[in-house]
Amino acid sequence: MTDHQNGRRQVWRRRLRLSSLRVRLAAVFAVVALTAAVSASGIAYWLNRDAVLKRAQDTALNDFRVSLSRSVQGLPLNAGCPALAQLASEVASSGLSYNVVVVDDNQPDCTAVSDPRFTAAQVPHALQMAVTTPRPVGPGNPNEYHLYWQRVNLDGQPYVVGGTRVVPTGPTAYMFKSLDNERADLNTLGWSLAVATLLALIAATLLAQAASATVLRPVRQLADAARRLGEGKLDTRLEVSGTDELSDLARTFNSTAEALSEQVEELSAREAQSRRFVADMSHELRTPLTAMTAVTDILEDEADALDPMIEPAVRLVVSETRRLSDLVENLMEVTRFDAGTAKLVADEMDIADLVMSCIDGRAWYDAVEVDAPRGVRAVVDPRRLDVVFANLIGNALKHGGSPVKVTVRQGVGPTGAGEVVVRVTDSGPGIPEEVLPHVFDRFYKADKGRARSEGSGLGLSIAMANAQIHGGTITAANGEQGGAVFTLRLPLRPAGTGAAADGGSADGGSAGGGSAGSSGRPSAPERGGRDDAGDFGDGGGSADFGDRGDFGGSGGSGDGTERRSEQ
Amino acid sequence: MPFLLLIEDDDAIRTGLELALTRQGHRVAAAASGEDGLRLFKEQRPDLIVLDVMLPGIDGFEVCRRIRRTDQLPIILLTARSDDIDVVVGLESGADDYVVKPVQPRVLDARIRAVLRRGERENSDSSAFGSLVIDRSAMTVTKDGQDLQLTPTELRLLLELSRRPGQALSRQQLLRLVWEHDYLGDSRLVDACVQRLRAKVEDVPSAPTLIRTVRGVGYRLDPPS
Repeated sequence: MTDHQNGRRQVWRRRLRLSSLRVRLAAVFAVVALTAAVSASGIAYWLNRDAVLKRAQDTALNDFRVSLSRSVQGLPLNAGCPALAQLASEVASSGLSYNVVVVDDNQPDCTAVSDPRFTAAQVPHALQMAVTTPRPVGPGNPNEYHLYWQRVNLDGQPYVVGGTRVVPTGPTAYMFKSLDNERADLNTLGWSLAVATLLALIAATLLAQAASATVLRPVRQLADAARRLGEGKLDTRLEVSGTDELSDLARTFNSTAEALSEQVEELSAREAQSRRFVADMSHELRTPLTAMTAVTDILEDEADALDPMIEPAVRLVVSETRRLSDLVENLMEVTRFDAGTAKLVADEMDIADLVMSCIDGRAWYDAVEVDAPRGVRAVVDPRRLDVVFANLIGNALKHGGSPVKVTVRQGVGPTGAGEVVVRVTDSGPGIPEEVLPHVFDRFYKADKGRARSEGSGLGLSIAMANAQIHGGTITAANGEQGGAVFTLRLPLRPAGTGAAADGGSADGGSAGGGSAGSSGRPSAPERGGRDDAGDFGDGGGSADFGDRGDFGGSGGSGDGTERRSEQ
Repeated sequence: MPFLLLIEDDDAIRTGLELALTRQGHRVAAAASGEDGLRLFKEQRPDLIVLDVMLPGIDGFEVCRRIRRTDQLPIILLTARSDDIDVVVGLESGADDYVVKPVQPRVLDARIRAVLRRGERENSDSSAFGSLVIDRSAMTVTKDGQDLQLTPTELRLLLELSRRPGQALSRQQLLRLVWEHDYLGDSRLVDACVQRLRAKVEDVPSAPTLIRTVRGVGYRLDPPS
């Protein structure tokens, strides 16, 4: 679950990281588009504005001039205020719609306006000055007075105000022409341009997206492919299309992956070959061994009756046949683990019972101290776990010496799930530091000088493999008192055995027998003593069953030496 | 003196086991192939068969299946490989027990004796579970009045379950009671035998009403309600 979430988070992070390139591309495109659109629109707007305003005001001013000069001809000299008002409204109504104000310096109180909203006071002072100031007449300037204009805002409305003095001594006329229509037109234009700019921006972003996709898709594919390759999917290949730099990269990736997978294939083929060889060899060894083992019992039984010269030879053949048989058995077991064909046949078991059964079956009572409260139940493969216990305890007895102490506890694993902790402590000198990392290696002999070890050299590695197939592990260390400490940790329920574990307490009955095994040596009937088994506790009937390790090659005989020694 | 038929193709193993088993007190007939073995089986009617799995011609599984069509005598498989698939196939084809090569003669002898003990009669009464009647003194089981052909192992399993009706027995307990294996038995023996037994005694073997699975524990025989 958390793996899944992590994976998802990583994907998102990767997307975000990838998209930063995308964002950058989009930003560049957007800036370019914005600059182009804004400058084009701006220039168009200003040119248009100028042209529109100029045409409007030129028309109005021309009309004003023509209409004024026509109307002023009918004006008497020193005309009175009503005449001036008459003039104003005449001019105002003559042509285009504008308002007129006529001012006579000689009659400051006279208000000659075409519309009372517009008065001389609204004419900007600068314009008044320009209009009323006479210019010196010269070759380039035939008249003293000219028509001047200025654009103003009155109450938020744009106007062009034009004005001129009719005759040198006559009144001054001003015109107010509203530019409202033009402003509306220009606003419309502005909006259109803004919308056009926006559209250009969107188009640019989309274009950037498309452009980045063409670049980023191959990049992402490459990244995904590289990740898959790293995860071990060596058949990952990229589709190569085109001849650009990215497809060159894809081609290089493909050839690299090809070379890599070829190498890995070759290596694994070689390894598989050598594993198959070991498996086949041990298998082939088994047939003659079976025949030999079949007759060793006869030889052994008859050994006492043989010639004293021959008897040791027969005993040697017998013991070495058994040794060889154990070695081959362990080799087979190892090849099964290597090939992944080892299976777990799990049942819910009381760990204390298993420990007892292991010690009991090998007659290790006197040498092993057990602190194993009953009630620690776990789903395990009893035969595999027996191999683990036998190897750990046997190893402790062999190299550490008695007393060997075995403790069984229920603990809590690193993930919070319950686990079984079995600790095997010996009283020996401990394991040299440089040997510690290798104790679970195959055929690793701590003492190189010892030409022949009693064990096969596979015991601890098989114990480790058996622990691992349960989802557990074994660690080796040196105790405070000097002896070696092997710690087995097993989950209470190995993954994938949930069904077998359901409702597991029905025959558990640990309540009654909580401490039965804690003091060490249960008697034989007690060994089978589940709570509901009282009436057939002696049903084992294994008097002629001295050898318990025989049963399945897959689990029963990982510790041949100790087993044989009791016979 | 139990009469065994040993079917094993390898001359050395056959000779060795024949020697050892004879020495343990058995009368042994030996065959080198499945075909020979089947012929000898029909001619001599042994008490028990020790059967190698890997045989030229028809293999041990097939021999086992052919014998099971007509006879319920105990069969112990001798497998060269303890690969799980072999064990499972062997048990499904009707074997009662199995041993892995190289097997020690005394172990094989113990298995043989344990298997043979399963067929021994008891001094006890009979009991009925619905249409199923188990006669312990005659060692017969009838269903709707019809005699059921059970192997000694199946019969013993049924007897042990019927002795404690309604009580769950763990697979390890059953291994000890029926197979006389100790604590480290292979619980697949129990599962395979229960399957075979259900096929014979249940009305619908896939929906058992008599031999019930108790999850996480084992099996129990329910008296029909």
